[in-house]
Amino acid sequence: MTDAALARRRNHGKWKDLLVRWSFMLPTIVLLTAVLAYPLFYTLQISFSYFDMSIFGAGEWVGWENYETVINDYRFWESLRVTLIYLIIALPLQVALGFGIAFLINAEWGGRGLLRALFIIPMVVAPVVAGGVWRMILDPLWGTMNFLLGLVGIGPFDWFGDPQLAMATIIIIDTWRWTPFIVLIATAALLALPRDVFEAAKIDGASWWATLWSVALPLLVPIIAATFVIRWLGAVKLFDIVLASTFGGPGKATSVINLFIYEEAFRSFHFAESAAMVMIVLVLTMILTGLFLRGSRKLEELY
Amino acid sequence: MNCKNGVGPSRRKVLGGAATALTAMALGVDGAQADSGLGASGAPVELRVIANSAFSHTWQTVLVPEFNKVYPNIRVTIDGVPYNEHLAKLMLEATSTNPEYDVLVIDDPWTPQLAQLGALVDLKGPKVAPITSADYDWADFNPAPLASGEWSGKQYSIPVRSNMLMMFYNRAHYQKAGLPEPTPGLTWKQYFEQAPKLVQDMNGDGTIDAWAVDTFFVRDQLTPTIWQAIMNSNGGALLDDKGSPIFNNEIGVAALEMHRKLLDYAPPGSLGHGLQESLQTFRQGAVATMFMWGSVYKASGIDTRASTLTLKELGMQVMPVGTAGPGTHRGIWTAGISAKTRKMKASWAFVEWLTSKKGEAVNAALAGSFPARKSTLTQPSEEWMKPVYIALQQAYDVAANGKMWRIRSPRSDATQQILADEIARALAGQVTPKAALDLAARRISRILR
Repeated sequence: MTDAALARRRNHGKWKDLLVRWSFMLPTIVLLTAVLAYPLFYTLQISFSYFDMSIFGAGEWVGWENYETVINDYRFWESLRVTLIYLIIALPLQVALGFGIAFLINAEWGGRGLLRALFIIPMVVAPVVAGGVWRMILDPLWGTMNFLLGLVGIGPFDWFGDPQLAMATIIIIDTWRWTPFIVLIATAALLALPRDVFEAAKIDGASWWATLWSVALPLLVPIIAATFVIRWLGAVKLFDIVLASTFGGPGKATSVINLFIYEEAFRSFHFAESAAMVMIVLVLTMILTGLFLRGSRKLEELY
Repeated sequence: MNCKNGVGPSRRKVLGGAATALTAMALGVDGAQADSGLGASGAPVELRVIANSAFSHTWQTVLVPEFNKVYPNIRVTIDGVPYNEHLAKLMLEATSTNPEYDVLVIDDPWTPQLAQLGALVDLKGPKVAPITSADYDWADFNPAPLASGEWSGKQYSIPVRSNMLMMFYNRAHYQKAGLPEPTPGLTWKQYFEQAPKLVQDMNGDGTIDAWAVDTFFVRDQLTPTIWQAIMNSNGGALLDDKGSPIFNNEIGVAALEMHRKLLDYAPPGSLGHGLQESLQTFRQGAVATMFMWGSVYKASGIDTRASTLTLKELGMQVMPVGTAGPGTHRGIWTAGISAKTRKMKASWAFVEWLTSKKGEAVNAALAGSFPARKSTLTQPSEEWMKPVYIALQQAYDVAANGKMWRIRSPRSDATQQILADEIARALAGQVTPKAALDLAARRISRILR
């Protein structure tokens, strides 16, 4: 067989292999295009168009007009600010609490399995139900929280009437809901840590704190960073808990960006402006996620 | 015999002919019904209605059987939609190439928007007028609720469940505070003079357990209706004759300050209160007064599962009197016919029956819906309805005189959302009433332009 024939056969084999690979990927590509790419590009199209209510779809092309309207709307920036406050407080709190609780329940003791199982409950409760239940618990007039705090001489607090407390309420509910998720990840990570390193630390006479600070934490840093990114991706979508508990109030104190976009789209029927907001938030989220992932990789390299 | 010799018709032929004739007669009748668009016994017309989930089930179980006594061959299915999704669903329906619904039940501010889209049939126009009964009495409707279904001089929908913003009060609280029972002549000035006394200890345990008022304070589209009712009662208006916002004037600002002042006499946490929370505090006897939609009256005073109050304790009247008169606000559910329906006659048969004198009386008696017709209001079927209908009639008159309704525009929902946002910020103290209303006026002006 000549070299040319061999090359042809190799080339043919290469193409065949490529075809087989793509044929396996095709259903996924079609599905992703249908459920992800199409809505995304449609939203993009609407964001650059006048939304024609008579056809309930994108009408005339208006360029950057919708983006200008959004950028000049103080409510958009206000909602972004509110979202940022929530993220800055809630995310570190949940990660710290999650890993802290995981450390505490990692020790060998009876009933540990049951406690871990109980931790799953907040995660499986529907967010709207969680918001509603917490609204009842924190109700200043009828709720049990103020009653219990009153027994020890604290309060009463107007959980939904005070702008700062309302934000705290959202963070409390969200933390109650999502900390168990981090506890589960952290517990799994702790169990996966190499035992010999800890045994070596023990032989060297390291204290509990020294073991935690100098052994466990450095080993866990990549996991903590990854957990932060996962939780960040969930947290930026915060919507239902706010809708069910504070409705974005009092005033606009808890009007997070997703709630604002929803209200603009489905209450005021400003679909084009809402689409522009979605695209801006998407770009911001992608940039920040990219930065977090990069930071996460750097930490992995460092530790 | 002729039949035997073959000259006359045989028995079989006679029987056969009779059967054929009977079948033809039957088919003729059915055919006529089918042609009328009202269905036939073997071929009923299927009619689909979209309504609010708060009352759709009651209508389906209580009103549809009554309707079927008159029109047995029209099968009506009423689908309930939660309020927050209702308008979006109607808009999608209006623009759909394959619409599902024949009859659309519409909230007060939505008629212009749907009419603008061409989603509704003109009920006094050429499609419906010829099939309307001669005794259908348009003039019997109170003008305020009927106007809810009008837009650009056309009648697109008709009241089926009327509602007005009213002042509810608990007589026990007034007695305990040593205050006279409110009358429709109660002024805002008197109301605020009495309010501190209504914040009291009802059970005598030494702690405050009752407050003067609860109503809409939360960021919600219905919250501005309270501010607007106060403003309207003091002679203010949302828009001028040219359609430009004027609510950010002295009267509007003073009204918002009064709305905010109500919080001083409201229970803790009231800033987060809307419809459900206000109802809860009032029905649990924790507040003396409540500014709320009148339709909650029956459940508040009769339904022991929903309320601790009795009819003896419960009073209802128009909202207090300002410099121009009493206040109220209109909130009417109306029924219209989809412009895309292929069952025009059956659709109108349902809407016509439901809004006729008889249908409205049935709706009021069995489903507890508030009527819009003067004749129904003067003939209450139950004892508890008598004072309620008197108050309702007064509210209709007051609303008609003061144009006490939301902005009539195809962009009504957007304007109401702006008011909801800004009024909530002012109530929460995040901005002054003047600043909130100025900003709302600028934004609404842009939208309406």
